[in-house]
Amino acid sequence: MKTTVWIGILSGGMLLLTAQFALSRDKEDSMTWNRLARGEAAPGVASVTNKLYEQECGACHFAYQPGLLPAQSWKKTLNNLSDHFGETVELEKGDLAALTEYLTKDSADLSGNKFAISGKIIRSLGDKEIPVRITEVPYIVRQHHELSARHIGKNPDVKSLSNCNACHTHAERGSFREGEVVIPKFDRWED
Amino acid sequence: MRLDKVTVIVIALLFTPLGGMAQAKPADDLLAKYREQGARNVSAKEGETLWGRRFKDPESGEERACSTCHNNDLHATGRHAKTGKPIDPMASSANPKRLTDSKFIEKWFSRNCRWTLGRECTPGEKSSFLLFIQSQ
Amino acid sequence: MDKGTDRVRVWDPIVRIFHWTLVLAFFTAYIAEDHFPDVHAFAGYTVFSLVLFRILWGIWGPQHARFSDFIYHPRVVLKYLTDLIRFQARRYMGHGPAGGTMVIALLVSLLLTTISGLAVYGSQEYSGPLVSLTAGIGAEGADLLEEVHEFFAGFTLLLVGIHVMGVILSSVVHRENLVKAMLTGYKIKEKGVQHAPPVKRRDKEQECGESIPA
Repeated sequence: MKTTVWIGILSGGMLLLTAQFALSRDKEDSMTWNRLARGEAAPGVASVTNKLYEQECGACHFAYQPGLLPAQSWKKTLNNLSDHFGETVELEKGDLAALTEYLTKDSADLSGNKFAISGKIIRSLGDKEIPVRITEVPYIVRQHHELSARHIGKNPDVKSLSNCNACHTHAERGSFREGEVVIPKFDRWED
Repeated sequence: MRLDKVTVIVIALLFTPLGGMAQAKPADDLLAKYREQGARNVSAKEGETLWGRRFKDPESGEERACSTCHNNDLHATGRHAKTGKPIDPMASSANPKRLTDSKFIEKWFSRNCRWTLGRECTPGEKSSFLLFIQSQ
Repeated sequence: MDKGTDRVRVWDPIVRIFHWTLVLAFFTAYIAEDHFPDVHAFAGYTVFSLVLFRILWGIWGPQHARFSDFIYHPRVVLKYLTDLIRFQARRYMGHGPAGGTMVIALLVSLLLTTISGLAVYGSQEYSGPLVSLTAGIGAEGADLLEEVHEFFAGFTLLLVGIHVMGVILSSVVHRENLVKAMLTGYKIKEKGVQHAPPVKRRDKEQECGESIPA
């Protein structure tokens, strides 16, 4: 009898711990259980939900999730499209305002408490100067510090650290976990 | 849902060749527009030649062509020269979304001509490009 | 509670649950490593909380859970160890000198492992309670913290290995199943005890028939 009680208590405790762990991962995701059933980890940033952003910006490069930068960075970039990292970008009249609104409202500083990566990005910035490049955010720099030019710059299939989805196989889903990284010509990333 | 006779006939007509013409193709509309703007001596062959011609960017000195990103073979998937992002094939036979939206076509003419040629394309050049893409 | 047999309850339920949960949490953290960073962090937090709890329990818990029950003078510890190798060590109801020393060593090592882990968490993942302290530490500092954390994790594992060997050795020498004792809480009252010459102070006479309050 006593043994059964103990087993019951311990099992109950384990279940509670597991449940709490699973549910605490992403409060916004109502499909947590579906996601877990598929074996997917919680996304680190909110997914891109704006069609205009996907079409206009995602046409040339990976549609960086707004949660990867603070609102200030997005504003800086959008106010400087005539020199957009070396290229000139022209948008229709209303599009600039619409894109600015979308990117700033889903930016890292506003979604940090719901999405792990956004929070880490903001905390790593601290009081430092706000960069426009995601690749200059201290947290991102630190996460990639073990890589070298042969993985990135000199790797013709990657070319630049800003080419997230070249290696992060689930980047479109907002997931950038180390276990999902496959560097072209180098296979899965192992420390 | 009961349709009156007129509606039925109209719908039926839309599925005939007549109907096909009634849903005007965006590319043809643009060709007509460019003709009005002065486009002459245009052809798919001319478009193909232009497609592979290299233009020099004064700032970086690098050579650029349409084929740099879009390939010489329009059935192949292209890649953005800087970011490496895949670009769906240009040929309608490989990509049914091509040449279905005139606004889209004009927007990318404007952006890409400026990047490649360093200027806007002339109506003649645009027409030749359209004819070339249509022929693939 | 004495069941009227030869058994006496030595380990209270709390200390037992603590022990085995710690085993589970530590190995989860060790195996998850940074392949499953969320799991690793969660397990690490669990270890940290367990250690803190055990310290409190060691101050205010029941007899054999208290630190005062098993902290011995180093000379006593040394003597116990030398006796143990010669199969002549006396038996203790709670933690003996060696066991007691191992408890302290493990708790200290685990504390250092988890605290350095929190520091790594702050400096690399910009998360956890030590963010404000470690966030600005720079690449070399972060690397150093990581080395420290890895060292203590490895050291703890080494201690665990010695602990397991010690448990087995003591079990053999005193002819009892100490693992079972940590599961059920009970030890046999009197077993084949090798009587070593009497030892000096700080040596508890606990061999015979003590009823431990539940």
